[in-house]
Amino acid sequence: MFDNLINKSAAKSPWLFHINAGSCNGCDIELVAVLTPRYDAERLGFRLAGTPRHADIVVVTGPLTAQIKDRVLRTIEQVPEPRCIVTMGSCPASGNVFKDGYTYAGPLSKYVDVDVDIAGCAAKPETVLEGLYQAAMILEQKRKDMKNKGGQI
Amino acid sequence: MAFDFPFVKEALTQMFKKSSCEEYPFKPKEAFPNYRGRIVFHGDRCIKCGLCEKVCAGGAIHNVLISEDEEKEVYERTFDLTSCTFCSYCSDFCSKSAIELTGDFHMTGTKHEDLLVKGQYTKVKKKPVAKAAPAAKAESCDNKAE
Ligand code: SF4
Ligand code: SF4
Ligand code: SF4
Repeated sequence: MFDNLINKSAAKSPWLFHINAGSCNGCDIELVAVLTPRYDAERLGFRLAGTPRHADIVVVTGPLTAQIKDRVLRTIEQVPEPRCIVTMGSCPASGNVFKDGYTYAGPLSKYVDVDVDIAGCAAKPETVLEGLYQAAMILEQKRKDMKNKGGQI
Repeated sequence: MAFDFPFVKEALTQMFKKSSCEEYPFKPKEAFPNYRGRIVFHGDRCIKCGLCEKVCAGGAIHNVLISEDEEKEVYERTFDLTSCTFCSYCSDFCSKSAIELTGDFHMTGTKHEDLLVKGQYTKVKKKPVAKAAPAAKAESCDNKAE
């Protein structure tokens, strides 16, 4: 009986999980700016989740270093389907200036399917909001597809 | 009794004030002056000196030869915004102002192609006659040095 209500609410309020994969902290600070009162993504429904098991959208910052690669992939695996993976900044998408470094193990798209790329170094909060909106749209579509296939959401 | 609960006055006055939150998604917003956003490449001004590729730390600039004939070569230059640090070096070093970093911050994409900026430029091949002239000049320089 409540399924419809839950599905509708879940589509309107995706929860984020943020992973720092070796970022310089520039992008992390911008993501914090998005979530705090100035840009306040919570008024649009985005909320920071405390654990990957509660999350719908995973935001990855940083170039994916060799040390953190396995941990990032393990954390992403813990996020239940349907999930949406967002790369924030140039680093996770391409390695940026770190791409020739010996500790670099990315890009992230080599290991998982990335849904949205947010460009910038660091990405501007407005750009992040736009990227998250796109991610929420993709998530809604994924949920519908999963439901049509008879999956339990 | 004095009305001295902390913050009560502040809370009450703030309730009727305009929110200090950014209104961005509901109202369009301009980037600050000198914001370095999406790159625009003016291929017609480029002289193919190659300086922009040399100074690019992120390795975001790539060139592909797309056509060639006796007189000219046409290249396509790609700026990969997912590889760019938006340092503006390419634009600062370009003597022909062929690269511009605009205030456009709408840089998100679901595919890699969404974040590529492409532009074509032409390199005019030197004619054999024109080639002889610099050689002679170089010679005269050598003579001078001697
Ligand atoms: S994209 Fe730029 S700001 Fe963001 S983590 Fe990488 S180097 Fe830092
Ligand atoms: S864009 Fe400017 S710096 Fe780059 S090759 Fe052309 S003229 Fe040289
Ligand atoms: S802004 Fe900097 S990183 Fe981006 S293309 Fe130009 S030189 Fe390369």
